[in-house]
Amino acid sequence: MTDVHQRDLPGAPSSPGAWDGVTTEPPADSAPQRTPRRGPADPVKALMHRHRDLCERAVDPLEIAAGLEAHGITDRTAARFRHKDVFSLAEEMYARIPHDNDTPHTPTPPTTSRPHTTWLLRTLLPGTTCAATVAALHLTHGRPRLLAATAGTLAVTLSLRAALTRGPLSAQRSGPPGTLIWTCWLLAYAALGDGLLMAAASGGPEALPTTAPNAPWPLTTAPLLTLTISCAPAAWLAHHFATRARNKLTTSRALEDFATSVRPLLLGTVGLFLATVAALLPLTAVLVDEPAPYPQTLTLTAHLFLARLLAIHGFTHAPAVILTATATAQATALVTLFAARLPHCAFLATPVETLIDTWGPGTIPTLTCGTAALALLIHATRKLPRASAHARTATRW
Amino acid sequence: MRIGILTEGGYPYVSGDASPWCDRLVRGLAQHEFDVYALSRSERHEDEGWLPLPSQVRRVRTAPLWAAEDDGVAYGRRARRRFAECYGELAAVLCAGVAPEGGRLSEGSDESSARAGASSATAVDEPSATLADRFASALYGLAELAREEGGLVGALRSETAVRALERACRAPGALRTAHEARVPDLLTVAAHLEHALRPLSLDWYEDDGLGSVDLCHAASGGAAALPGLLARHFTGVPLLVTEYGVRLRTHYLAATDSSPAVRSLLAAFHGRLAAEIYRQAAYITPGNAHARRWQERCGADRTKLRTVYPGMDAGPFAEVGESPERAAPDTLVWVGRVEPAKDLISLLHAFAEIHKDEPGTRLRIVGAPAGPEGTAYLTHCKALAAQLFPDEADGPHAVGDNPVSFEEIGGPETPTLADAYASGAVIVLSSVVEGFPISLAEAMFCGRATVSTDVGAVVEVIGGTGLVVPPRNPRALAEACMALLRDPERRERLGAAARARALELFTVEQNVAAFHGIYLEIVSHCPVRRAVLDDTGDPLPFAVPAEAHVPGRWTAAASRMVARGGPGWAAGPPVPATRVPAAEAAR
Repeated sequence: MTDVHQRDLPGAPSSPGAWDGVTTEPPADSAPQRTPRRGPADPVKALMHRHRDLCERAVDPLEIAAGLEAHGITDRTAARFRHKDVFSLAEEMYARIPHDNDTPHTPTPPTTSRPHTTWLLRTLLPGTTCAATVAALHLTHGRPRLLAATAGTLAVTLSLRAALTRGPLSAQRSGPPGTLIWTCWLLAYAALGDGLLMAAASGGPEALPTTAPNAPWPLTTAPLLTLTISCAPAAWLAHHFATRARNKLTTSRALEDFATSVRPLLLGTVGLFLATVAALLPLTAVLVDEPAPYPQTLTLTAHLFLARLLAIHGFTHAPAVILTATATAQATALVTLFAARLPHCAFLATPVETLIDTWGPGTIPTLTCGTAALALLIHATRKLPRASAHARTATRW
Repeated sequence: MRIGILTEGGYPYVSGDASPWCDRLVRGLAQHEFDVYALSRSERHEDEGWLPLPSQVRRVRTAPLWAAEDDGVAYGRRARRRFAECYGELAAVLCAGVAPEGGRLSEGSDESSARAGASSATAVDEPSATLADRFASALYGLAELAREEGGLVGALRSETAVRALERACRAPGALRTAHEARVPDLLTVAAHLEHALRPLSLDWYEDDGLGSVDLCHAASGGAAALPGLLARHFTGVPLLVTEYGVRLRTHYLAATDSSPAVRSLLAAFHGRLAAEIYRQAAYITPGNAHARRWQERCGADRTKLRTVYPGMDAGPFAEVGESPERAAPDTLVWVGRVEPAKDLISLLHAFAEIHKDEPGTRLRIVGAPAGPEGTAYLTHCKALAAQLFPDEADGPHAVGDNPVSFEEIGGPETPTLADAYASGAVIVLSSVVEGFPISLAEAMFCGRATVSTDVGAVVEVIGGTGLVVPPRNPRALAEACMALLRDPERRERLGAAARARALELFTVEQNVAAFHGIYLEIVSHCPVRRAVLDDTGDPLPFAVPAEAHVPGRWTAAASRMVARGGPGWAAGPPVPATRVPAAEAAR
């Protein structure tokens, strides 16, 4: 490359300039300036030294040419280096960069952002309001109780909204319409569903739900309370998952490496969340003085957590579909019980009644939510180890 | 005729790059109709609003480049495979090497010394042409997919895209830097490609959009020219590309903090895109020889290049230009934005020498600092001036002042830009880096003698009508200035010549006239082939009269004009036509 360009010697600059004569003379005489300063044997080497940053990072000759021009080097300057134009000078410089001892570009892992106090507090909010509401329901009776229930529901909804719209639990884009309604349905079913199912099976319901455990339509608050309290660990785990995944993203070289390293992380995150819920549930059950419905609560929280985790990373379609299916299944179970009261339709209730008789009313939510959670888990293990799922949080353009 | 102006971050937005130029062009060519297709660069840019549009602008369509919403279209199996094929091809081309060098080969013929390299260059040339074709077909493949199926934004962000990139980077024969790409690099490249390919998802290419114009004029290269490229592909509309600053070069200067893998892949993409734009354009109009050299280097055919100098409004300078006696005989003036690249330090040192020999001279530095860096530089220059030159007074009882004054336009001494030039006997330009030197052209309009450093397009602009010295050489600058200060006749002669040259080359009128001529040339040489269909959709023979081929205004035709697909128009059956909107047909 170098000797080709040295044979470029007679190439005079295209326009008349101060250095016209220089190029045709041997380099020793090529300094007709008044003050002959240091005359390096290899002027291009000196130039490369002066622009070594540019040369080291250049990926092609044009980049060097652009950089040289930005430093004021023109074709007439290039003529001093016995080149026709800046492009050929840049080509020589690019060819002379030693490429063999290149140190590979080592990525700097991003600074792990510490959990932020504001969002930690915000995720504690739903649990607190829900506990307060449950306490109010236990302490009040009659009309004030209805008011407390209404106000409590409103407060819990608002605090949930606050916890889910910002911080690590916030989704990048809103899911399809209807997601919110179906989520509310699932929560309502967790609180009222089992009681209603039992009441419906036995010909009721005849009164509004109460918190008394032996009432005909009992209100189950333990799952709801556990769920709202678990917002805080869920947020922390989601944050942890996103951060760890991003770190793995920076350090992994191939997409397959990344996927294999993220899969155990995902399973660990989900497992840790379920363990937390399982530890929380007996506590809340003792607090509200109710039996601890392990299967329903675990499957419901797993379902909602996985759906959220997917939504955080931009996958809203599958969670919405599965959510709708789950809620529809639960609603169908209820509707069949009521529809069986119509003449000639008694057979409709048979499957649900069989389930209730065999395993109890908790079977319906456990089965539906459990299936949904399993489906979402499989979906998540396929989608979340993808690098593109973590790209939008990693790069901003 | 109807001209589609394509801009990116420019006209018709107030704060756009080339807005004044486009505005003057559109106003200057009132006999044509203009459709403006603008890509906006940021939300702030959009909020600042539009310039007032003249009546010849029939339609403005805008699209944000800064926010692309995924339209939620999920591809089916076939579309996904098609996407994977096209994207994989694109990635393979990007990993295969850097920008093509078509220009170098043609230059080689007049270089006796380059003959040694010619044989190797020819060997490189064949795969290079194939690669260019592969890039083009991949690009158009993606564009067709976006046109038929939509959902390209989501697909470009998807795992399929990242996987295709990874496969291309790991393929044998890929670039060394690409081979070292890590997962974050792949994601960055995918995100950047998604951003760069957003114009593919626009709905501008239908028959009532860019399909209905006679000519696309892209006001810059890169993203602005991409819609023009696609319009040419889909409907055969000829493309004219004007570049005052080469986009590829801007890209090289801007992207410096990413990893080598990202930069080499993106450089390859922008290089290939520029080459394809230059290849498909009917004409390319660089704004100066510097841009022209870059374009030639990136593969632009020399026969398509027409340098059109930027036009400037000569009006404000007319009065000054015709009254050379207003100049103070011993005043040097520097006008411009104050920033380190202007090398005012050199100027001050040069002026120190001048002042030593000619004690009565004064230097006026007129201009506002550009950014915080410029402000710091201005402070530094003021301190240096105070050190170099003690204040001078006329007599023992008068209050003195410094021979170097720093002023801003709008101050009491220089109410307008023209006044700043008017006060100087010699206008000095001391930059070390310069693109198109606007202040030099303005000084020429004012008929003032100039001394400038040999940077950027200075020599090209000044021609022989001013003195040029090497950059970073205060002594040469001082000598040139003194030569002019001592020779009023020469000053006058040079000033008059400079004014004549500027009026010939850098006026708005010449700019508009040049584009008018190029428009006519394009329309006469490569008219859009349109087939006129009758009510049942069959081709209507003789529907386009011979007169229609005469350049002029024929868009008012009441017939339904429908474009057919590209160069294969003669071979295939008529392409099904979409209905032209009633409003348009009635016009």
